[in-house]
Amino acid sequence: MDESSWWGRHKAAVLEAFVLSNYAFLILDVYLAHLVNRFRYGAEWIPVGFSIVAVLVLAPALILRVRGRGRSFARHAGLVVGYASIAVGLAGVFYHLDSQFFSQWTIRSLVYTAPFVAPVAYAGLGFLLLVNRTVPSGDAEWSQWVVFFALGGFVGNFGLSLCDHAMNGFFHATEWLPVFASALAVGFLGVALVEQHRTFLRISVAVLALQIVIGVVGFYFHLAADINGVSSSLFENFVHGAPVFAPLLFVDLVLLAMIGLWDVLSDRVHQAGRRPSPL
Amino acid sequence: MCRWEPFWTRLHQTSSLRVITFNRRIGFSARNWCRMPFRSIFIAVVIGSSLILGALIVNRARPARETSQPLPAFVEATGRCAQCHREETAAVVHQFERSQHSQANITCYDCHQRLEGQDEVEHYNFVLARAVTSLNCQACHRTEYEQFARSRHGLPAWAAVRGTAQLSAEQVAFGERYHPGAVDRPPNALAVLEGPAAIQTGCLGCHDIGTPNADGSIGSCTECHSRHSTSIELAREPQTCGQCHMGPDHSQLEIYNESKHGVLFNAQRASLNLGADPKQLTTADMPIPTCATCHMSGLDGLKVTHDTTERLSYWLFAEVSEQRPGYLSGQTEMQETCLKCHASTSVNRFYAEAEAMVLATNDVVRETQELMADLRSEGLLTPEPFDEVIEFLYFDFWHYFGRTAKHGAFMGGADFVQWHGNYELLLKRTELEEMADALRSTGGRE
Repeated sequence: MDESSWWGRHKAAVLEAFVLSNYAFLILDVYLAHLVNRFRYGAEWIPVGFSIVAVLVLAPALILRVRGRGRSFARHAGLVVGYASIAVGLAGVFYHLDSQFFSQWTIRSLVYTAPFVAPVAYAGLGFLLLVNRTVPSGDAEWSQWVVFFALGGFVGNFGLSLCDHAMNGFFHATEWLPVFASALAVGFLGVALVEQHRTFLRISVAVLALQIVIGVVGFYFHLAADINGVSSSLFENFVHGAPVFAPLLFVDLVLLAMIGLWDVLSDRVHQAGRRPSPL
Repeated sequence: MCRWEPFWTRLHQTSSLRVITFNRRIGFSARNWCRMPFRSIFIAVVIGSSLILGALIVNRARPARETSQPLPAFVEATGRCAQCHREETAAVVHQFERSQHSQANITCYDCHQRLEGQDEVEHYNFVLARAVTSLNCQACHRTEYEQFARSRHGLPAWAAVRGTAQLSAEQVAFGERYHPGAVDRPPNALAVLEGPAAIQTGCLGCHDIGTPNADGSIGSCTECHSRHSTSIELAREPQTCGQCHMGPDHSQLEIYNESKHGVLFNAQRASLNLGADPKQLTTADMPIPTCATCHMSGLDGLKVTHDTTERLSYWLFAEVSEQRPGYLSGQTEMQETCLKCHASTSVNRFYAEAEAMVLATNDVVRETQELMADLRSEGLLTPEPFDEVIEFLYFDFWHYFGRTAKHGAFMGGADFVQWHGNYELLLKRTELEEMADALRSTGGRE
């Protein structure tokens, strides 16, 4: 990768900003999600508190890094937050499954247990922090790891869409759309890990563009359902109705995947400058 | 050059200027299309399609309860409700999961949804009935509700304590149509004397089976079937009827346990199919009867009824027991049940002996009733009820011992006919006569 280009110099910071914004958003998202349970268990505050701490640590680290200072602090703070984030994510998966699934071990209980895929987001963000610090951003491996975690995100999104809408019995046929879309994204990103053909990658980008449409439309449907909900207040509708922010995960994962794919595409453009273009 | 290049080239050339410009901008050319990595696209599509196919197959295997519902709220209800209620009031979830309602794909929302006339309460994005009543049950069990509502378990049970309190004019008229004088009546004099606390936690503990609900419906089905178990088996248990039909004023449970029916039931209950479908119940399921078998069940094709008064022939609970208006039909229907196990000669003899006991008790009670009337007419008793000891003694006389003797005779409880019935009647009658003599000798001054 050409370190002289803006992207080449800043892509690690872009990824860091992506992770940081995700932690910031998770504060609100997890707070709303655990309000359903009225924070019955003290452990439910852990992801909220952790997200706040992560933002407070990573934000100054990112600012210092962009200004070219405090590399050591940024590195170590990110590693600590990253490892802790993985631990929070794995513990979250355990606690969510423990709410019903472990006592019944049925697919049905997997649907109605607390969304067990959701905490994996913390593990994913943690791994991204580690990748950003242990893999040089100039290596092709860096972008492959980013695409890999975007792929993992879409696998999770497939599971979340399936379980969440199964709870609703797929009452509206449109509830299948995110399942179909995320399955397609898994297929294309999975192949994109090993296939770096420019045309294929561009088709993959088009498939990702479809995910954005699905995310925005889903957000509209969830929002409309909540606005028309039957709870005593709009806030209660947001808490107990359709998870309003969930469809935005599609958009979020597209951003992550694009960071990786853009890097791959840019790299090939760069290489194309040195070698005869296949086009 | 690939096989398709001429096709793409021609297409490219015949396309509009705008398409050509777009294609150039995104880097597609005829040659580029030919180099499309179809194998990779195919693999990607196969992976995606496999996931989709897997999801569809798993979803198709789900039970109808989870997929075929009239509204999303019904789909969500059972699973979503259980999410919280496994933590709070967890037993109701386990009760429901074992119920026939659960097996029949009924969801929580089927029973808890708000119906017309019911107050609503918002509960975590569900609109629920503030109180589930027999109105909710009759949405599916209309016939059973109608039979129950016109039975003695309906408004007469309520009015026996509270009179017409909380009853609408329509409800009073409805109750009086089937039980003249049993609904349009004053509150129970004894209960009024004992006060609201005793009424609420004592009397109504049983008599609210006929409670007038705010939504206009009558009674509470859950008194016998329970709430989340909604059990037929439970309703067939003698102990369920015995929650109320016990004690000195109506010792049916004690009498049943003493009778051959009760002894056999307690010895062989493990072999009985208490949960059998009411419309298909046979003597093979229940070769030994419980209360419900004789008073309600459609044994071997007989008509099922939730009107527990249909098969009765006498007003056994009354001071002096007269024949009910449906005496013959009641007796015939009950005897049809008896004949499932007993020969007609036995049944006829049993009825003749029981009726003789009723008439004998009537004679004894009537004589004592006249004694009390004489004392009142002589001015030795006040017109108010329950303000003199002799009135309590007389109340015990017919209300405890008179009833016990009659119930014992009709339920095969010999000990209750004799020692808890007739012996006590004789004793109390003697005591009453002595007290009457004492009152007369002192001119009413105790």
